[in-house]
Amino acid sequence: MSKFKDTILNPIFKGNPITVLILGICSSLAVTVELKGACVMALSVTIVTAVSSFICSLLRKTIPNRVRIIIQLVVVAMMVILVDQVLKAFAYAIDKQLSVYIGLIITNCIVMGRIEAFALGNKPIPSLLDGLANGLGYGLILIIVAFFRELFGSGTLFGIPVLSAIGYTNNGLMILPPMALILLGCVVWAQRSIDKSLQE
Amino acid sequence: MNTNNNVYTIVYTTVVCVLVAAVLAFASQKLKPMQEANEKAETISQILTAAQFAEKDELGAWGNAKVIEFFKDNINKAVLVNAQGEIVKSLDTKKAEVWGTSQLKAQKYGFPEGKYEIPVYIFNNGVSVLPVYGQGLWGPVWGYIALGGDLKTIVGAYFDHASETPGLGGKIKDDPSFRAQFVGKSIDLEKAKAFEIVKGGAPQGQSNAIDAISGATMTSNGLSGAINEWLDAYKNYIEAQNN
Repeated sequence: MSKFKDTILNPIFKGNPITVLILGICSSLAVTVELKGACVMALSVTIVTAVSSFICSLLRKTIPNRVRIIIQLVVVAMMVILVDQVLKAFAYAIDKQLSVYIGLIITNCIVMGRIEAFALGNKPIPSLLDGLANGLGYGLILIIVAFFRELFGSGTLFGIPVLSAIGYTNNGLMILPPMALILLGCVVWAQRSIDKSLQE
Repeated sequence: MNTNNNVYTIVYTTVVCVLVAAVLAFASQKLKPMQEANEKAETISQILTAAQFAEKDELGAWGNAKVIEFFKDNINKAVLVNAQGEIVKSLDTKKAEVWGTSQLKAQKYGFPEGKYEIPVYIFNNGVSVLPVYGQGLWGPVWGYIALGGDLKTIVGAYFDHASETPGLGGKIKDDPSFRAQFVGKSIDLEKAKAFEIVKGGAPQGQSNAIDAISGATMTSNGLSGAINEWLDAYKNYIEAQNN
């Protein structure tokens, strides 16, 4: 049972894909302007990672080794297109806001990385959990960064005025990608000062 | 089983591809009606925003049904006009029919010699909304320009884009102050350029020009080109209406 617990908890803190493995940086800079977009992106990546890990793990014994990357790509691409189509049908405004970044989930190293490193060598259920946990680890950082960027950049949270209601002047720099990188660096710094074993 | 021989590999990849294609085709079939409804409501809310009925974000919060209902209540008629400026067809306003949903991303409409039919949306308050489509820096830009009853004064505008740079070219959509510049300006069909977006700032007192976005020359030029090309196509219609 502790192995299961490890599979789930490790990617969220000690092996967090963004802050420890430094994967998926590009999209985390792009979609963290607002909390709403960040949440949808986090959910989308979690679903894509979890389901494609699960499918690839089911197929792991049958996939010809020479074309395994291509097969993985086909599975991931299918999931990404499905997520995009569903968003277009049910959350059109958010899909428009996230625009190309949903399609670019396919290039997110976390998805392929987890399939190669975990799903191909493990049973379906642990793979599903691993994908889920990595997606959540990614989402957690996204939401932390988006929280600060939206709060100080637009003075709102989920579009509801918070700081702007008490006369705060929006900081335009928070909305631009460079500030996301700086914030991300701060998150990495905070995590490494809490857990000294992560320091190199 | 030897999963590395060639026949197995080819058969395996083929089967996987066919299965995935089937799943995607099925999903696309099932979701298409909802996606089209969303796209139509989006087009209508862009038209309504251009005509200054409400801000785009407000309309988004209304939901599709209310947006379409509002459009039906306020539209007087929607017509297609040809190159000679004659009205050739009416769109069904009771069904909130709009032109160009499928051509939303038409980068270059082309205006085949004298053979085009393009839409005018006329609202009960006398405002006419005309679409424009063009090529920005990275992809298509498009939008709607709302003209007052004299078909000369601009009462509002709304623009959208597929992939312009956020913070630079993306301002045509995201920066309300860019759009606000259009309000109160007018178009001048007598001039070579009916409307200008001027890099470095529009000259004081020129009523048919606004400032371009700094750092987004290509997007500004693309939008300016789109506006002029389309206003030119409507020239005969506008003149016929004013006589």
